[in-house]
Amino acid sequence: MFQKYRSTAEKIGDNMKMVGIIFSNIYDATMGELTKHRTVASLPFGGRYRQIDFVLSNMVNSGIASVGIITKYNYQSLMDHLGSCSEWDMNRKNGGVFILPPFGTGVTSIYKGKIEALYGAVAFLEKVNAEYVVMSDSTVLCNIDYDKVLEQHIDSGADVTVIANKDQKDTDEVQDLVLEVNKKGKVTDLAIQCTAEENSYIGMGMYIINRQLLLDTIRDSVAHGLYHFERDFLQRKYMKKQIDIGVYHFERTVLRNRNITAYFRNNLKLMDDKVRSEIFCENSPIYTKVRDEVPTYYGDDCEVDNCLIADGCKIDGMVENSIIFRDVTIEKGCHVKNCIIMQGTTVNKGTNLEYAIIDKDVVITENRTLIGADTTPIIINKGEKV
Amino acid sequence: MLKRRKECVAMLLAGGQGSRLKVLTEETAKPAVPFGGKYRIIDFPLSNCVNSGIDTVGILTQYQPLELNDYIGNGQSWGLNRNYGGAHILPPYAKSKKSEWYKGTANAIYQNMHFIELYNPEYVLILSGDHIYKMDYAKMLKFHKEKKADCSIAVIDVPVEEASRFGIMNTKEDDAIYEFEGKPKKPKSTKASMGIYIFKWSVLKEYLIRDEEDSKSSNDFGKNIIPALLADEKKLYAYSFKGYWKDVGTIDSLWEANMDLLNPNIPLNIKDPNFRIYARNYAQPPSFVSKSAKIDNSMVAEGCNIKGTVENSIVFTGCTIEEDAVVKDSVVMPNTRIQSGAKIEYAIIGECADIGKDAVIGKDPLYCINSEEWGISVVGSGKKIADGRVIKEKEII
Repeated sequence: MFQKYRSTAEKIGDNMKMVGIIFSNIYDATMGELTKHRTVASLPFGGRYRQIDFVLSNMVNSGIASVGIITKYNYQSLMDHLGSCSEWDMNRKNGGVFILPPFGTGVTSIYKGKIEALYGAVAFLEKVNAEYVVMSDSTVLCNIDYDKVLEQHIDSGADVTVIANKDQKDTDEVQDLVLEVNKKGKVTDLAIQCTAEENSYIGMGMYIINRQLLLDTIRDSVAHGLYHFERDFLQRKYMKKQIDIGVYHFERTVLRNRNITAYFRNNLKLMDDKVRSEIFCENSPIYTKVRDEVPTYYGDDCEVDNCLIADGCKIDGMVENSIIFRDVTIEKGCHVKNCIIMQGTTVNKGTNLEYAIIDKDVVITENRTLIGADTTPIIINKGEKV
Repeated sequence: MLKRRKECVAMLLAGGQGSRLKVLTEETAKPAVPFGGKYRIIDFPLSNCVNSGIDTVGILTQYQPLELNDYIGNGQSWGLNRNYGGAHILPPYAKSKKSEWYKGTANAIYQNMHFIELYNPEYVLILSGDHIYKMDYAKMLKFHKEKKADCSIAVIDVPVEEASRFGIMNTKEDDAIYEFEGKPKKPKSTKASMGIYIFKWSVLKEYLIRDEEDSKSSNDFGKNIIPALLADEKKLYAYSFKGYWKDVGTIDSLWEANMDLLNPNIPLNIKDPNFRIYARNYAQPPSFVSKSAKIDNSMVAEGCNIKGTVENSIVFTGCTIEEDAVVKDSVVMPNTRIQSGAKIEYAIIGECADIGKDAVIGKDPLYCINSEEWGISVVGSGKKIADGRVIKEKEII
């Protein structure tokens, strides 16, 4: 028990060194209907979370005191979710969470890439008292301790450390950033928007960078009309041998929700004991907005196989291999299989659902049959009545 | 200085040991005992306060307060983290002249008169942390004002045969109380006191001071303050409450009240979005229910890993029920592990307990020859039960 307190105490000293930046919108376009009325950051995931919960909890658990969240549009749901950030213990006098909406200066308007997005955060980054910046997207979910990354970053003397993993199963997909690294840990190739070889490192959209370097980069890039962080900064400077890039090899589970199919499959991956234990760690919990729901009631005739079920539900039907969010009702005679059912939805009697993503507050009337496929699950939009 | 005031301040008596809960209150105060899957008993009166618009609550603690203090924190979970008002933990404290423990319920309030004066209230609501119920105190306060009462006491209709277990209020037609009988042998009415009082603060203050001066007094609301008010012909009224109200002071009643949550005919709706019961939240992931699991007519909170069989039971947050383990008609409190092959029936398993493989705890009353000897089995908090150990019916470990 005291060990736990001690390790936290050690962190206090270290982590005044880091400040966090989270991009909430960058990949909105890839999630179709699901992000029509929300940011990818506030997209529900894993039964009771929003994607940002994983990213923000990682930062909080690493002891980072100040986090800026860069937003563009549709961020009302995100603001509503975060509230005063008390659930993350980020309602602080010193530090806390700063929402950074687009800052209209005349130089940039709505941004096209991360660097432009960061331009709105310049004032925040200038003011904050930290030497290093941890940047993260909100589509790659994992449970990571940024302290360890910082340790490597400082030891290696790199200008930027890219957090990456090796993912053999993901070799078909086009990745944002792929790195080849030799035995000495030196980056030998850096490619963007390409598929990965078996041994290559795939970027996780998370970086640690020296704050002054980042500030200079933002100003310089905006002045030159450059906006893409990976292409215009990392790749360009790497080619010119102007920066030293380090790679941090992250070995635990990584869930990349880069499109709807991946998002759907990654949700269902949580049924795996190993995946769950590596995402939800006892010592680094994932925090989220508290809704004060009652515990879930399982009825007499229910049959639940391999499911992740949040609070406040009433389960009377048959549910297989599915993620059930808070306050969902599944009536008798229903058969729900391989589905994601979001908060507040009601599935009425005798309905048959397979491979479907049912958004929040949907009502599915009696005796419906909706069947999608693993690659293209059916999506029912928020608040619809089927 | 301009003095702000609160109309009504609540004082929650949470210092009781609850010795009849035995091992469950060995290291914690009764109000901190877990209930209903994710709550603790104190969540009910606290949520009632918040839902009734009362935002200033003094929580009087004495017996084993650590867990309770930690649980309440700054009151944020109930929306009671206020600059003016909010939740306040009030333990007994050393004073310049005389320092003492809380001698009785009335003395506990007497010792905290300065706290109440801070808010200069017109009314004081006295509550206890022993019962499970949902009540809008605002309605009772309205009644109190309408009757221009000095004291209002919430009462509930109990069956005649049980009336002799309670403090009974004998009332006139207009609900005015003319007599109070503690546990009467021949009850004249069935209006049992719920231990919920609203006082006009000026009146209560006077009687608390007078009661304190009386060295023979046992400083108790029911035994001393109420009889004194009646003797002086003060205006006392009985406010009739209809709904679910249950004392959870014994092993049996705690088990029953938990089971009531599974009974659709019991009028306690904890799922009402307009009257939520708030609780401290511990960032647990959703519960995982595996293919080998079988859950029937049960309540399971978040953070559980269910691989065994659960029937007619309440499983609290963060529990693990391994494969081939069976939990029937039982209450499994937070963060407990039931290992494979264990069989739990008609039992209460305390927090953070670890039940070994193939252990057998409790018994179905149907299979008990002598029903007199049957009872709920209890495993205390943090206890480790060895593999294969048998804990009989009614046994308390």
